[in-house]
Amino acid sequence: MLKRLRENKSAQGTLLASPTMLWMLGLLIIPLILTMVISFGKRSPDGNVIYAFSLDNYIRLFGYSTDCDGGQASCFNPLYLQILWRSISLAFKTTVWVIVLAYPLAYFIARATPKRRNTFLFMVLIPLWTNFVIRVYAWMMLLRKEGAINIILGAAANFLHIPFQPLEMLYTPGAVLVGMIYEFLPFMILPIFTSLEKIEVPLYEAAADLGANAIKTFLRVTLPLSMPGVVAGTILVFIPVMGTFIVSDLLGGRQVILVGNLIQRQFLDARDPTFGSAASLILMIMTLIVTYFYTRKFGFGEEIVVA
Amino acid sequence: MNPHKRHPLIVVATVLVYIFLYAPILILMLYSFNASKANVKFEGFIPAFSERVEMKGSLVQASPCGPFHWFCDLAKNDDVLEAAGNTLTIAFISTIISTIIGTMAALALQRYEFKLKPFSQVSLYIPIVIPEIVMGIGILTLFSQLFGLLNSALGLTGDSRLSLGLGTVIVSHIAFSVPFVTLVVQARLQGFDKSFEEAAMDLGANEWTTFRRVTFPMILPGILSGGLLAFTLSLDDFVITFFTNGPGSTTLPIYVYGLLRRIITPQVNALSTVWILAVFSIVLLLQILQNREQRQH
Amino acid sequence: MSKSNVSKLLAVFAIASMVLAACGGGAEPTAEPAAGGPKVTSSGFECPEPSPRVDVTSKELNIFVWTEYFPQDMLDCFELVYDIKLNRDEYSSNEEMYAKLAAGGSAYDLAQPTDYIVPLMIRQGLLQEFDHAQMPNMKNFDEGWMNQEFDPGNKYSVPYLAGTDAIVVNTDAVENVPQSWADLWKPEYAGKMVFLDDSRAVIGATLLTLGYDVNTTDPAQLEEAKAKLAELVPNIKLFDSDSPKTALIAGDVDLGMTWTFEALAAQQENPAIQYVYPTEGAILWQDNWVMLKDAAHADAAYAWLNYIMQGDVFWLTLIDYTYINPNKAALEFAKANHTDVYSAYADSPITNPPADAIANGHGIQDVGEATPLYDNIWVEVKGE
Repeated sequence: MLKRLRENKSAQGTLLASPTMLWMLGLLIIPLILTMVISFGKRSPDGNVIYAFSLDNYIRLFGYSTDCDGGQASCFNPLYLQILWRSISLAFKTTVWVIVLAYPLAYFIARATPKRRNTFLFMVLIPLWTNFVIRVYAWMMLLRKEGAINIILGAAANFLHIPFQPLEMLYTPGAVLVGMIYEFLPFMILPIFTSLEKIEVPLYEAAADLGANAIKTFLRVTLPLSMPGVVAGTILVFIPVMGTFIVSDLLGGRQVILVGNLIQRQFLDARDPTFGSAASLILMIMTLIVTYFYTRKFGFGEEIVVA
Repeated sequence: MNPHKRHPLIVVATVLVYIFLYAPILILMLYSFNASKANVKFEGFIPAFSERVEMKGSLVQASPCGPFHWFCDLAKNDDVLEAAGNTLTIAFISTIISTIIGTMAALALQRYEFKLKPFSQVSLYIPIVIPEIVMGIGILTLFSQLFGLLNSALGLTGDSRLSLGLGTVIVSHIAFSVPFVTLVVQARLQGFDKSFEEAAMDLGANEWTTFRRVTFPMILPGILSGGLLAFTLSLDDFVITFFTNGPGSTTLPIYVYGLLRRIITPQVNALSTVWILAVFSIVLLLQILQNREQRQH
Repeated sequence: MSKSNVSKLLAVFAIASMVLAACGGGAEPTAEPAAGGPKVTSSGFECPEPSPRVDVTSKELNIFVWTEYFPQDMLDCFELVYDIKLNRDEYSSNEEMYAKLAAGGSAYDLAQPTDYIVPLMIRQGLLQEFDHAQMPNMKNFDEGWMNQEFDPGNKYSVPYLAGTDAIVVNTDAVENVPQSWADLWKPEYAGKMVFLDDSRAVIGATLLTLGYDVNTTDPAQLEEAKAKLAELVPNIKLFDSDSPKTALIAGDVDLGMTWTFEALAAQQENPAIQYVYPTEGAILWQDNWVMLKDAAHADAAYAWLNYIMQGDVFWLTLIDYTYINPNKAALEFAKANHTDVYSAYADSPITNPPADAIANGHGIQDVGEATPLYDNIWVEVKGE
């Protein structure tokens, strides 16, 4: 039998891939199917799932509501669409900011001497390797009314004899944005760095020889060649931001409701697993659509993933 | 033209971003010496050493450990040690398993054609592109239903009942690590020069020996990178662990989140400081080892 | 990364983690007890003997409880006295607890639902009945807290601690101290308030301002409450059921709705913080122990319950995490042996509410079929 195995290449392939396939089947495909099945169910008053086929949850998500203010039979309740929109726009803003902040740093490291490069890289990795939750907590300490930032600003204002009211920074949507940027910045630095590093020095020299100044070189050589990195980084940032609930929980005072919060609350507080599953699926479909169109335009950036 | 010269604006921007990255962490570490138990404002370092802890209101005036009072407090906290132990156990086991099966899958996908290949490719990309919460909820649903069925079907009771715990967390961690490992190893295999293997085979080595002595050593950096990535992902994971853990399987991220839900004393900061310093020392060690090796060459 | 570097890295990780894992594996609860002598916790507290001592074979107990609810000495003493490992997971809302237990797959033995969730859990078959013969220390509780509407005869639950939800105010920061729930709607408080992240409590308070019952199932009344609540939410800076006192002490908020211990702890930090029982009536609640249906360590559960219900153990809750104490034996023990602690408890209107506050108060009850109505209001009003 072993001999037959040796000759049958296809069987070898299947065998090698089978543990992974089984894992993915069991822990990814089946759970997603289950989620889908539940999303079509109904909720019992106590919060259990009644297996049925009903589009109620999806209808509710997209705004159709029978619970109207003016006593009409049905109306448009944009609540959930607002939440979806809020999440997308936050993810978008975060990504843009992260690219703006990450690019100079990545460029700096990529152009450093090889010896120094690793040091700079590790300096980026250290915050990443400290706990995610701890990093959010750090911002809580910075942003509170009597937190570090206000203390420093207050001291500066005192020094300059300007009247100063402590800024209300914590528990605002701005705090959530800053928190998201902070959390995901390293995920953009690394891919951009990897793609910038691959640009060989002779390319720059050639551009200079051909008479290009710094800006032209950047726009026509550096930027296009770094796009795979930007793409990979965007995927690594945009998608998690849509699904994260901790940052908005802790820094937004439970007031900033994103899709991640909605899903988590449906499962935990509102006891409506059917609605939560529907929201979860819609989130997944949205991210798949976004990823598909994005990578069709810009490529998948997989060559970046190698460390 | 010096390729290592960068525009001063870029340098300034870089410095600012590094400050942005490190300021919160440094403040966090500073507050782990906070004399104020309420940990709202920094009220200075704990000034004195003494036999017992002396408090004035919420200010620690003196302590057996002096300014390191909160670190001593932390050391007495068994929950933290247990959580740390759990975190590392989970990370290790899930890394080893996911690296092995991920590498196997990468080899399969890169070099063989087989019937379920498209299915594998697609299903491996999905966990990378979907938010963790979707996966976490799905896995929780699966385990809940599955355990319910199995427990009643097999009549399991008491301690032998299937339930959420260390096992479910490990299994889930493997599920989200494998795609990353596979991707990294696959990328490595793509750039692989087959001529080495062909040469070995020409010299009479069979397939297994070729793999063992030519292929494997050459893709080892990719495998180790993938393993490192899996380890990092597992260590820091919050969302999936949040949905799949049970009593006695708390990990550090979950534990810290729990701490934030209570009276926040500087003990949390002390924990953060220890964690940061641990990471920093490992990185420093790596740097030294790397420099030593580079000098040897 | 070159091959040898990465292997060195792995070696370092391996060593570091083996060291840490070894430390973690060997964690002992507290100080070593002297052979045969009384057990002493690491803070120097001498653990009382269990009376009666229950026969236990389990080595572990899994409890699912509220955050910030157990004096450390109580936990340590139980582990020392019975040599049972206590695994404690926590939650900060009843709904969260219920969702985790209802989802199935959990391995907890005991949980601590508030009164109104108990009937739901009974209905869903999540609980098993207590064998009162195995819980002789139940008699230590004041009859006024036993045999309640939500569980007649205490078949499924025994009390732990009780409390109120009322208004908390930092009198230094706020000019006009609010006296009623309705006052909180005033525009002068906008952006300065913290509220509980608890749908029944907040919607209940809103219903009270409209003159309705906190447990109404009338959709029209709930609609009104939803509209009224929608006016309030933009003024709320922060929803927090984990540790609202933090924001109060830090000055991020100046007033709001919170519960007994939070107000007490905040007051201890800042004496200007006061607890006001609103004119419409505060919300009264009671937390209870329940045993889960498939509890694997029932004997350890009974040992735990009996032990903490002892007067000489339960009184510890008068020092740390102080709430309204329904345990007669504990109060008498404290009165006799620790008069300062007892007086602090008895003198504070927060932990010992005046009789009219109790009389005026409202208990949240299970609303059965109408629960989704409340849940929906909560999601929609907060999602804006």
